[in-house]
Amino acid sequence: MIKHNPLYQSMFDAVGKTLENMAFMEVMEHFDHSYEIPVDELAWNSLLINDPVQGEIRLAMSKIVLKKLTGNVFGIDEEEITQAQMDDILNELLNTIVGLFLSNLFEDDQEYKMGLPELGEDELPEIDANTIIWKLMTDDEDALQVFASGASLATLKDS
Amino acid sequence: MKRIIIADDSTTARMFIKRCLQIIGLGDVEIIEAEHGKEALAAAKAQEVDLLLTDLNMPVMDGETLIKWVKASPKLGDLPVVVITSAGNPAKEAQLLELGAHRVLNKPVSPPIMMDALADFLDED
Repeated sequence: MIKHNPLYQSMFDAVGKTLENMAFMEVMEHFDHSYEIPVDELAWNSLLINDPVQGEIRLAMSKIVLKKLTGNVFGIDEEEITQAQMDDILNELLNTIVGLFLSNLFEDDQEYKMGLPELGEDELPEIDANTIIWKLMTDDEDALQVFASGASLATLKDS
Repeated sequence: MKRIIIADDSTTARMFIKRCLQIIGLGDVEIIEAEHGKEALAAAKAQEVDLLLTDLNMPVMDGETLIKWVKASPKLGDLPVVVITSAGNPAKEAQLLELGAHRVLNKPVSPPIMMDALADFLDED
């Protein structure tokens, strides 16, 4: 069922292509794997994958980075950006990233079902043993984090 | 002037598609934005439309249902439909083409991909 792309690379490529096409930003691994986005600056959302594996993908970044991304995508000054635009960008980014991630991960004839993105509030949910984390940054060294959780998704890690 | 309906519940996606259309030389077409399939269908029935660009996952009426309604309508049956989705893969694409979609594009769509998909539409100008 799994193509040659390892799980990690599938997500890395999905985030890279999405950010490059939508926001004209390059994405690379964060140089500091211990870095955490401060909770009071955090913007995040989540999306459920229902089939053929079950799990949840979360996208997190700082509100400052989200504002910068929104400005890039909409082509407007930061003073003109609204909270609704920032929320919409975050949801559209996650939606696109998860679609690409699944198409990178599975064979061409594999159908998959995903839910709709939902905005998160306050702190990110706790990380458990079945959570895989991608610590990334843009070419401006702005941090982005992606979390994939769920037992059936986590089993693909070593496939 | 040509009219294009963009059906997507995301403001960002609609704006991004509009920007792609501008880049490929379709900046002067009339764009009608719809947040879901039902709104797009009503807009298509209310006026002459040349092209429908639609997402799949939308509230109220999804893209698949929209295509079925469009293709079943005597008035709209010939309306070209291009699907732009994050939930596409070859199996899904085949299913959508069978329903009557002309092309299926995966997000994030880029101007060259949009240009290729709309080549026939552009040639008519």
